Amino acid sequence: MIKYQRDNCGYCGACVAVCPQQILELTENEVTKGIGCDECGNCTIVCPMGAFTREDEP
Amino acid sequence: MKYDVVVVGGRIGGSVSSLFASRDDVDVLMIEKRQEIGTPVQCAEGTTLSTFKILDMKPSRRFINSYIEGATVYAPDGRALDLEEVTGRNFLDGAGYEGYILDRKVFDKHLAIQAAKAGTDIMMKTTVKDLIRKEGKVCGVVAKHLGKIMEIKADVVIAADGVESNMTRLAGLTSPNQPRDIGSCAQLELVGLDIDPYRLNFYFGRKIAPGGYLWMFPKGEDTVNVGLGVRSNKKTAYQYLNQFISRFDDVTPVELNIGGVPLSGPIDRTYSDGFLVVGDAAGQVDPVTGGGIHTTAFCAKVAGQVAAEAAKKEDTSADVLKKYDDIWRERFGKNLEISLKYRNAADKLTDKDMNALAEFLEKNKMENLSKISAIKFLGKHPNLLKLIKDFL
Repeated sequence: MIKYQRDNCGYCGACVAVCPQQILELTENEVTKGIGCDECGNCTIVCPMGAFTREDEP
Repeated sequence: MKYDVVVVGGRIGGSVSSLFASRDDVDVLMIEKRQEIGTPVQCAEGTTLSTFKILDMKPSRRFINSYIEGATVYAPDGRALDLEEVTGRNFLDGAGYEGYILDRKVFDKHLAIQAAKAGTDIMMKTTVKDLIRKEGKVCGVVAKHLGKIMEIKADVVIAADGVESNMTRLAGLTSPNQPRDIGSCAQLELVGLDIDPYRLNFYFGRKIAPGGYLWMFPKGEDTVNVGLGVRSNKKTAYQYLNQFISRFDDVTPVELNIGGVPLSGPIDRTYSDGFLVVGDAAGQVDPVTGGGIHTTAFCAKVAGQVAAEAAKKEDTSADVLKKYDDIWRERFGKNLEISLKYRNAADKLTDKDMNALAEFLEKNKMENLSKISAIKFLGKHPNLLKLIKDFL
């Protein structure tokens, strides 16, 4: 699954621009993730800070 | 609430649209999602005199950090080329210095203040959740301020909501970008870096900034913006940046900026019934350099003027608002198109190609480049030949 770590986020919105499901929203100091992630990984590629990572299921 | 024009976003695109619409005597509301205009900075802060000419504004020490006289480009192998020597062109123009490093926090706020003085109302810490539509025509926004939802009616909505624009998607004008169309950027403002304070530095190479480049923009005597844009899934922009910076001793950061830059050129259509798009949201950014300040300034000015004119004539249909699209494409459409072609071609170049090109340009200044030497050189470098062929 794709994990969002708010501690690493710089609130730039690059992830929002590439989310094909359009479930990401940038507020002032957080990206909120709605339901429906298809785990394409686009956000993990464009995030300058590595706030989005792909984690293996436990 | 009802306004003639509602502008979503309060950076350069938003404030300039608001300023020029307000100057044309219509009621304007600008909505900014953050609680402060101009922060966080998502920009390398370089621009040219043309920005101030477009805005009919004098470059002022208040929002300019430094004046730029030249630029040096470093090939992947470290070979340095001074651009003014290669091109035979000086960066200075008749009216003064052409290159500037802005203080975006001050500049953005200055523009918002100018808009407010011209009559624009501004709402801070307000997000836009949806567009209001009537028979397909955009006629306002649904906004949220401190938990309270409100409907704000408007004859024209101008979306200046950046790379993360949800307005353009709600209006059906864009679909999500591919990762290769977004430059992933990180920048540190560094103290203690001893470089020429009047010169830009650019570094290229797969190891330094794959799919992009690294810049060093001096902000006066004290600090330098060192940043890069990459398109890569190997490491993050921030990791590439730290890797580069580790070559310097005793540098200290005083600011970290990050951002995503749209590099796929302008969107197909920047207007619909009651709706205009400007700036990063419209892809009005040079796909090679990632620079978008002067293009956005021009487009936003036209958007503000066209929106005001349409609102006053009480016809804000797509047919009328198309004028905005026509005017800005006339000025920048071709340039952005060519730049996108360059970017696509440059994407195929290897470090070896870039080193060879730099070596060739160092030996053969552009103004006295002979055809025979160029043909001989290109014969040895098929990727560069392909790049040139695309433009013939």
